[in-house]
Amino acid sequence: MALLHTPSVVIHVTDYGESDKIVTLYTLKYGKAVAIAKGAKRSKKRFVNKLEYFSLLDILAATGKYSSLLRIDQAELVNPFPSLRKSVDRYIGAMLICELMRLWTRENDCDELLYNLLIWSLEKLDCGQSVIDTIIFFQLRMLKLLGYQLSLSACVSCGSELSAASSFLFNPAQNGLVCKRCTSFKGGSHFPLLSMNTIKTLEMAQTLSLEKLSRLKFANQSARETVSLLRTYIPYLLQKDVHSWKQLEAIRMLP
Amino acid sequence: MEWVLISRGCSSLISVLPPALERLIDDLSRLPGIGKKTATRLALHLLRRPAEEARNLAHDLADLHDAIGLCSHCFAFSETNPCAICSDERRDSRLICVVEESADLLAIEKTGAFSGQYHILHGVLSPIDGIGPDEIKIGALTRRVVKEKVAEILIATSSTVPGEATASFLIDQLGKTGARVSRLACGIPMGMDIKYADEMTLRQAIESRKTFGNG
Ligand SMILES: [Zn+2]
Ligand SMILES: [Zn+2]
Repeated sequence: MALLHTPSVVIHVTDYGESDKIVTLYTLKYGKAVAIAKGAKRSKKRFVNKLEYFSLLDILAATGKYSSLLRIDQAELVNPFPSLRKSVDRYIGAMLICELMRLWTRENDCDELLYNLLIWSLEKLDCGQSVIDTIIFFQLRMLKLLGYQLSLSACVSCGSELSAASSFLFNPAQNGLVCKRCTSFKGGSHFPLLSMNTIKTLEMAQTLSLEKLSRLKFANQSARETVSLLRTYIPYLLQKDVHSWKQLEAIRMLP
Repeated sequence: MEWVLISRGCSSLISVLPPALERLIDDLSRLPGIGKKTATRLALHLLRRPAEEARNLAHDLADLHDAIGLCSHCFAFSETNPCAICSDERRDSRLICVVEESADLLAIEKTGAFSGQYHILHGVLSPIDGIGPDEIKIGALTRRVVKEKVAEILIATSSTVPGEATASFLIDQLGKTGARVSRLACGIPMGMDIKYADEMTLRQAIESRKTFGNG
């Protein structure tokens, strides 16, 4: 049994039995981790208000003898990101980020840059930045960190250069743009369409430093095209549905 | 009791249990908070008690879904429709308390401090699990508030992140109906020294402070 001490963000919470909670954390030092907090639902002191969605904690946890389930001994609340519960669009946006973190990452596989991106995104949502822009930035940067950066400089099939006159489609299977001529051979008429303006904004969103990224804005049409791109591309890569998208749609938050 | 030891010692010997007992253990261990060990203890207890007791329990379980349904007005579990609270004329139908689940209604009823009616959501917004406004009873609440010209809605969802987010959504939605919307106060527990309160609770308590006298 070893003691782990690491900053962590709560990305999923479930009740376990009458008095325990099981939380999924994204930790700075160990990547994703699943942990049980004994007595968390009843104890008035130890865990109250801490093991909540989005909370940034400093935790002390013990590894289990027989399983990968950790046992949380102490949790210090560093930042509860309090605004994320005060408006439903920020709440669902933050949930989408947590859902993707949970689906994309593995236990015992740490990634400091991804951890920093998670904190950056929750901070932006918490301080009132555009929900749609922030969840787009998060996903583009996450894809890049995981090695699925969008290829946006030319048609990935024939190599033809982008020209202002043409619009391109995005082929999930090839990670990048295909020109109209190439898609007509491949039956890709259902691929998301990207206008020149969107492609330029996407390129900037993939390359700017996080510090400058918060000053970038997606025009309405570009946001719409990008959302449709991400809603096709990410479930294609994961081979799974991402539930939170549907809820952003249900509260009419999508551009 | 030997059965328990055998079944825990070696899983291939589980078939030593009579199949009927094994089925019951399986059923019981699906209940919240009950593991295999507790389920085995409960099943053996039932077996040792008079057969009449087990038959009564089986009878009650079989009746459960036939006898109890949801009140079509407030969505509480009830044997009658409308439920006893909704049909009680002494209760104020212009005041509605919104709760997540039936257990919350029971907790508030026990205080005797609330004289209005209820609305049970049967959940909270939980996008990650695919639960949005359409999956819980929010639409029905908004329609009820408009149709019955409700004067005040008291939102009593939990002070967890999903409970608070659901409250924020309800405040937005119900605010448009013109009714007064209030939120259950959150703050220092009775009898607690404030220096031991956690930051979140203290902050909440300051934000929802109450004014007296000339305030
Ligand atoms: Zn081409
Ligand atoms: Zn009722």
